Amino acid sequence: MTTSDLSAFISRLDFAWITTFHIIYPPLTIGLAAMLFIAEWRWVATQDPYWYRLCRFFEKLFVVNFGAGVATGVTMEMAFGILYGPFSQAAGPFFGQVLGYETITAFMYEAGFIGLMLFGWGKISRGMHLFATFNVAFASTLSAFWILDANSWMQTPGGVTLKDGVFQISDWAKAILNPDFLYAMPHMVVASIELSLCFVAAVSAWYILGRRHVALFRRALLWSVLTLIVVAPLQIWLGDGLGRVVAHDQPAALAAMEGHYNTLTPTGQPNTGWHVVAWPNAKGDGTVWAITIPHVLSLLETHSWNGTVPGLNDFPKDQRPPVVIPFYAFRAMVAIGGVLFLVALWAAWLAVRGRLSVERIASNRWFLRALIVSGFLPYLAVWTGWWTREIARQPWVVYGLMRTRDGVSHLSAAAAIFWLVGFMLFELMVWGGAWYFFAKVIRRGPDLDSPIPAPGTESLGHLETDPDEDEEAGYFRPV
Amino acid sequence: MNTLTHTQDMLAFAWWIALSVSVLLYIMLDGADLGAGILTLFLGDEDERGAVMAAMAGTWDANETWLVVAGGVLFGTFPFVYGSAFTYLMVPLALVLWGIMTRAVALEFRHLAEPRWRRFSDWAFGLSSLGTTFFGGVAVGAALKGFPMTHPAHGIPTYVGGALRFLSPFSLWTGAAAVLAVMLAGGLFIRARFKRGEPIRDHVARWTDPAFYAALACVAITVGWSALIFPWAAQKWFGPQFWIWGVLLIAALFATARMRRATRDERDLAAILWFNLTVAILGVAMIATMYPWLVPNTWTIYSGASPQVSMITFTLAMAGFFPVMVMYNWYQLWVFRARISKLVSYHD
Ligand code: HDD
Ligand code: HEM
Ligand code: HEM
Repeated sequence: MTTSDLSAFISRLDFAWITTFHIIYPPLTIGLAAMLFIAEWRWVATQDPYWYRLCRFFEKLFVVNFGAGVATGVTMEMAFGILYGPFSQAAGPFFGQVLGYETITAFMYEAGFIGLMLFGWGKISRGMHLFATFNVAFASTLSAFWILDANSWMQTPGGVTLKDGVFQISDWAKAILNPDFLYAMPHMVVASIELSLCFVAAVSAWYILGRRHVALFRRALLWSVLTLIVVAPLQIWLGDGLGRVVAHDQPAALAAMEGHYNTLTPTGQPNTGWHVVAWPNAKGDGTVWAITIPHVLSLLETHSWNGTVPGLNDFPKDQRPPVVIPFYAFRAMVAIGGVLFLVALWAAWLAVRGRLSVERIASNRWFLRALIVSGFLPYLAVWTGWWTREIARQPWVVYGLMRTRDGVSHLSAAAAIFWLVGFMLFELMVWGGAWYFFAKVIRRGPDLDSPIPAPGTESLGHLETDPDEDEEAGYFRPV
Repeated sequence: MNTLTHTQDMLAFAWWIALSVSVLLYIMLDGADLGAGILTLFLGDEDERGAVMAAMAGTWDANETWLVVAGGVLFGTFPFVYGSAFTYLMVPLALVLWGIMTRAVALEFRHLAEPRWRRFSDWAFGLSSLGTTFFGGVAVGAALKGFPMTHPAHGIPTYVGGALRFLSPFSLWTGAAAVLAVMLAGGLFIRARFKRGEPIRDHVARWTDPAFYAALACVAITVGWSALIFPWAAQKWFGPQFWIWGVLLIAALFATARMRRATRDERDLAAILWFNLTVAILGVAMIATMYPWLVPNTWTIYSGASPQVSMITFTLAMAGFFPVMVMYNWYQLWVFRARISKLVSYHD
């Protein structure tokens, strides 16, 4: 490895680290905001105080998560220019514009309402508050829309021509609605919803297991688990669609995800075998060992019994992605998708048998424990999904058009290490803080006593009052 | 390298105005938060520190978003500048980002922290406010100096020159000047946000005077120093159009004098508004001095702009989203306008 290879490698690690530590937070922001909106809407419509208490409780967790998301997200926007300067310059006309729209339509939009949502209880009318919550949910989904668009354009770059080192846009519609986006965006949004459902179910299960606030959290648990029955299979279906887009547009990436080396068997038949587990050999042109099921690969990727799937050996050596991480990360994600579906089915079965009633729910101890574990799994799926996606598209930063090595900034290895060490420290600190405060809010439990804000608007105080007037300190933290 | 059509030139110019407005709004809005954060380093009372943080809890995120917006506009419309200047400024920007991260955590999580951690978290908050401001100022000073680039025959020039090139006496000075200026803004913010009779208001009032003179001196020194080392600035200031700069200077001095009056009379909101008017005048003067450079001697607005700037996207953003967003941001500031007392930090 030459020095410039080394510094390019560390720059890639730098970027991988900060995205990995940012993506922990946005999915919960997106999904939980939507759930908070529904709960608040039920409260406004039915006046049932349980909905209000659930809203306020999960909102505390939302705040912690949101703070961490902002802290790690501002970095992301600067990082493209710092670590991937030449890429940012070349792709700027499309990629930069899309991110620019994101900041305007999503972040600014969200920021205009988040304060109202968190601190506006009792200060603004119920209708206005519900409107604020809706807008937070909507804006964070919009941000997923734009970000995913930018990223999927890098995967399937349509509508551009590369001229004088710049990607010129020839067709906006084609660039925005690129093939990968049509599956990746819903897949990510549904991942966010699935993650949030599992999160809420896990927290609720923990309380019910400890027989605290059983009636309150039974409602949260029931709603989220029953929604999961629809969402979990939907996610699997979308994932399958996404996989076929990859098979079609990034054949080398798909071959790496499946550890698939030879297109044809030695006898000249299509190689249809799907590896359950495998390990690549030292030369990188086959596996040392593998457990293989025939026909499954063709079924998965071509939906036919004997379809051909191009193997890695069909690609020039310098266009083959690494295999081990995409291969195992992909399997981990798919396995999690399946497990979550089974958990949802289990819940449906218990519900049908009437075992999720307030009196009986706490006695399903293994089910509740499984739910707690399921709270962590989607996080792992999001990580492994992204690692699959980003590593299997190597060596390209813009697939087929620009190589990663031409996109990285000319940093010295020392500068790249400075960045890595600093962000390891600070992002682990944010992560540790988020864990610690999640645990603390959960241990403390919901607040069931403070008065529920009356409908209508309280006085907002005055901007400039004369010095003797006693102003109302109408300002408080949500906790 | 200028590949833009005439309409695109005008669009690049318009986006440049939008970029400048975002940067200025960021400095005005978050400057006060940062300054108040630095001032908490000098507050002995834990509840007062907590109250200062509570005073910005509802709005700091929206304020900081202007920085993100500026970044977004820069990336979207001036990608050639974004991709090279940010590489040049890697080290100060990384330090700013760590500061922003620490600040966000200290602010958002403080009310949950154990009392023994609170002291630590308060220090982290004050120091990260200080670090963010200082390195932000360093980055601005370094950008004013420009940077060297590659000269490819085809393709886009990009930064070469190492990670430490940003360091110079001038950039260190702008960092220090930013800290002093922002402390003045923070003092005015604290005075406006707290109820009359709160000890913290009087405490801060005692610093406003020295902070005021220090900030004034900082501006004078920065302007003088720039005139000495930046020919592009001196040419404009002492050229045939010198009277424009004279008028701006008088306007700035007038706004400053009104701000002093307002502070003395305890009209806190008026003081903040006059202060921000001064900042706006100085900012506009500085941006106009740089024109047509976006980064002096490195990128002009026109050479740095994306060849794809288009009327449609500009209109969409400016006529559609911008005004709506500004409206809601304003509404949010309005809802959280009431003054507070230090007791708020007790709320649990
Ligand atoms: C699927 C959704 C998603 C994904 C893949 C990403 N983000 Fe993100 N991001 C969000 C969804 C989101 C969010 C949910 O909207 C956040 C969390 C908290 C917030 O304010 O917005 C956020 C925060 C956030 C912020 C802070 C905004 C603020 O100050 O309010 C920035 C600048 C970014 N992100 C930028 C990025 C970049 C450049 C990404 C590319 C790798 C990225 N994010 C991945
Ligand atoms: C949607 C937003 C995202 C965008 C626009 C994006 C963009 C990029 C870019 C520009 C690179 C560097 C070029 C390259 O190495 O190919 C990269 C690399 C990488 N990203 Fe992402 N990324 C996104 C999300 C994520 C997430 C959420 C994760 C992890 C959870 C992730 C993990 C990685 C990894 C592991 C690499 C390094 C790949 C390698 O160099 O081997 N990315 N991404
Ligand atoms: C059986 C179920 C699943 C299948 C078949 C599946 C399939 C896929 C595929 C093919 C990719 C794209 C890889 C690439 O582009 O190279 C992907 C990415 C991803 N997956 Fe899944 N997935 C499944 C379950 C899940 C679950 C349960 C989650 C989270 C809750 C999840 C989150 C993600 C994320 C965040 C990405 C990266 C972003 C994206 O491409 O949209 N996946 N998945």
